[in-house]
Amino acid sequence: MSVNWTRDSAAHLLRRAGFGGTPSEIDDLFARGLEGAVSRLVDYDAIDVTAYETSLAAKNYDLTNVRGLQQWFLDRMAFSPRPLQEKMTYFWNLHWTSGISKVRGTTLILNQNKTERQYAVGKFDDLVVKISQDPAELVWLDNYLNRAGRPNENYARELMELYTLGIGHYTETDVREVARALTGWTIQNYQQADNYNGATFLDNPAIHDAGSKTILGQTGAWDGLDAIRIILNHSDSQGSVSGRFLSAKLWSFFAYRYPQPYIVEALRDVYVASNHSVREVVRAIFLQPEFYEAHTVKTWVRSPVEYAVASTRMVEATTDFATASNSLAGMGQVLFNPQDAKGWDWGTSWMNTGTLFARSTMANTMCTNRGSNGTRFDPNRLLAGRDASTAEKVVDILADRLNVNDVSSKIRASWIDYVNANDDGSRGTWTNTATNVDKKVRGVVHLMLTSPAFHLA
Amino acid sequence: MVISRRDFLLRTSGFVTVSAMVPRWAAKGAGLFEESVEAAFANRTLVVLELAGGNDDLNTVVPYTDNLYTQMRSRIGVAPGSVLPLDSRLGLNPVMTGLKTLWDQNQVALLENVGYPNSSLSHFASRDIWHTADPLLAQRNGWLGRWADRYIAGNGNPLSCTAISQSLPRTLLSDNVGVPSFVNLASYQYSTDGSYPGDRSNQIRTFLTQNGGEYEIMNTPDTLSQVGEDAIHSSDMLQTVGAGYVAGGSYPAGTLGAGLLLIAQIINANLGARILYITFGGFDNHATENRDHDPLLTAVSSGIKAFFDDLDAHGKAHDVLLMTWSEFGRRVQDNGSNGTDHGTAAAHFVVGNAVRPGMYGGPPNLSSLDSNGNRTIENDFRAYYGTILQDWLGADSAAILGPGYPNLGFLNHGYA
Repeated sequence: MSVNWTRDSAAHLLRRAGFGGTPSEIDDLFARGLEGAVSRLVDYDAIDVTAYETSLAAKNYDLTNVRGLQQWFLDRMAFSPRPLQEKMTYFWNLHWTSGISKVRGTTLILNQNKTERQYAVGKFDDLVVKISQDPAELVWLDNYLNRAGRPNENYARELMELYTLGIGHYTETDVREVARALTGWTIQNYQQADNYNGATFLDNPAIHDAGSKTILGQTGAWDGLDAIRIILNHSDSQGSVSGRFLSAKLWSFFAYRYPQPYIVEALRDVYVASNHSVREVVRAIFLQPEFYEAHTVKTWVRSPVEYAVASTRMVEATTDFATASNSLAGMGQVLFNPQDAKGWDWGTSWMNTGTLFARSTMANTMCTNRGSNGTRFDPNRLLAGRDASTAEKVVDILADRLNVNDVSSKIRASWIDYVNANDDGSRGTWTNTATNVDKKVRGVVHLMLTSPAFHLA
Repeated sequence: MVISRRDFLLRTSGFVTVSAMVPRWAAKGAGLFEESVEAAFANRTLVVLELAGGNDDLNTVVPYTDNLYTQMRSRIGVAPGSVLPLDSRLGLNPVMTGLKTLWDQNQVALLENVGYPNSSLSHFASRDIWHTADPLLAQRNGWLGRWADRYIAGNGNPLSCTAISQSLPRTLLSDNVGVPSFVNLASYQYSTDGSYPGDRSNQIRTFLTQNGGEYEIMNTPDTLSQVGEDAIHSSDMLQTVGAGYVAGGSYPAGTLGAGLLLIAQIINANLGARILYITFGGFDNHATENRDHDPLLTAVSSGIKAFFDDLDAHGKAHDVLLMTWSEFGRRVQDNGSNGTDHGTAAAHFVVGNAVRPGMYGGPPNLSSLDSNGNRTIENDFRAYYGTILQDWLGADSAAILGPGYPNLGFLNHGYA
């Protein structure tokens, strides 16, 4: 089985490895061929980001409040020249997210996001250690309160259940013992005087339980680093447990949920052979033929964050992401403020009648913004240089741009009818006038953005 | 070999194909919805209140005369002298005056030590177990979703099961019944271009076509493709419920009060809603529990009181039953961070005119804990659900939950 590399494959890869491409970005990636395209995304250190970072800094997002943090991260996801780095940072944000409501210090949340970006495709062990010692995480799951003789097992449990092994691969005894090993990993300077922004990691031997523990069958006077090493090197009859867990989760994120066992096993082998390299597992995912098959394409339900980012970048909107940030709550995903340690469920759970309306309202705000502030795009630009003389041609140009050209002929016909329709519902005929562009191009972009074909990536 | 979309769906575990659906909307007025339930049950509404995160029921319903409670909760326990006594052994947290009033008015059944054997201490596993009523986690659909598939699917009412929630609660997940979910009615409609109001009906018509189940989606239940249709129709029905509404109760500030008010408005508008679900979170109190937990209990207690006051004022209390659940209780011994870790069995409330008031199950036995320091189960949660299915919804509980769960007797069988 090999990959039939087409322009649609490149568009699919950009939707999954990033947040969707513009026509020129898709053309560029397609021209590189499969291996070249994957390398371009995965080996992103080669891409210079100086100009982007300068432009981002010039936008002066207010990083002292969570709304500014959201805008800053949304901007990165939309406009960074390294889409996979931001997509992986977003993956870790979903995997390991901490909530501002409990953590309180915005700087701590910002620093966690920076850590997730810095270690996004490195050795998994390094990221696990960094997050386990991350002040936001230490507060979020209470390990900063975990002391010898007074253990708090909140982080120890989720470390194994949610972050590294999965339920069923450890016992309640392991939870208690890992909690003991993690005693002493705490924070200092966590105080109201500076809005909880000054906290730093502290490894405090005075409150560490130095006694013997048995973790996953191994006995010793383990500390936090030992516990993480034992957890990540834990194997059962099917080999590396963390390798299977992380591989299945990455595949579920980039391709589809419930991967077949042979895919998980192949990725597990890459994980082990590469000494737990996230980059190599991700590369293997994008080179796997199943990634490009019909049962993978357009099956991922965009999260609200992905929806906001994709809709703005695919129409090449000008934006400060204020509208997107304001819309996140109604769509069901307040970035940096999940309801609990598991973060959000993925998939169809994003979609219900209420969140659907919230998405349509955000899209409508963008599509109808004719001013010079906020999120906006120029409908004329979407047709520039193209033959837009008929409703069919208008619909096809826009459907191609938004990657919704896979709809049934009935839905395509309904868009064409809409573009032609008079206000009383009767059939008219589209002509390429300024008024029609302002009315019908904006209108049909809004319809396309609120169709199932765009909610899926 | 090319795998078709449908084949892939059928082969991949975790997803099931949803067969072509009966159109959910048949332009009928409320009251004409055809449901396969007996007339005596057809007007009844069940309100499900989920306390997400694992409510510490020992600080909710306090065994205030038990010395073990005082010892094991020395840092965060409720002072025995401060409780609102229900009897000589159990008392409510002093912030729960509203619920105490309802108790005194014989409107409350208290179920003690509810759970299931070999309780999972994982939030996520235990939550799914409670949602699906299946400790083996083999069921995809929720327990009330299975009820809905059996009794109300195809009735044409898009509001039969409605959630005041940002996401669809798995309790209501079904094959054939859509669940409108929202937290705010003002934004619950499809926005179109205000500059061209004459184009709105064209937009709505096109939106319905593109969301009418026509888009074939692989590896994803067809429900996604139908959500838009449900949305438009439920929005049409709901847009008027808040207009001119006069609340007959004083709801507490915050999301729970606002959500319960919305539920009361929907009930009082006679829209035929049978299940109304609301999630209230924040109960995972591993640290600083007193500071964080007491306001939650205040909202629960005063919210339920205001809700029933409001229903009373509108003559609707007779037809409404409210039940609470939470994925687990909490460890008896506090954890040294002035909080509590995950536990097992817990107390839950059923409120309404139909209850046979009182306690079902004894005070927690704090001297007989399992190897993790957690309580043992007295009432299986499936018996809790089954009693409600039988006596409130008139359903065949064994068909939904499986056989063998006793009726716990906290509802009046002959209530009419």
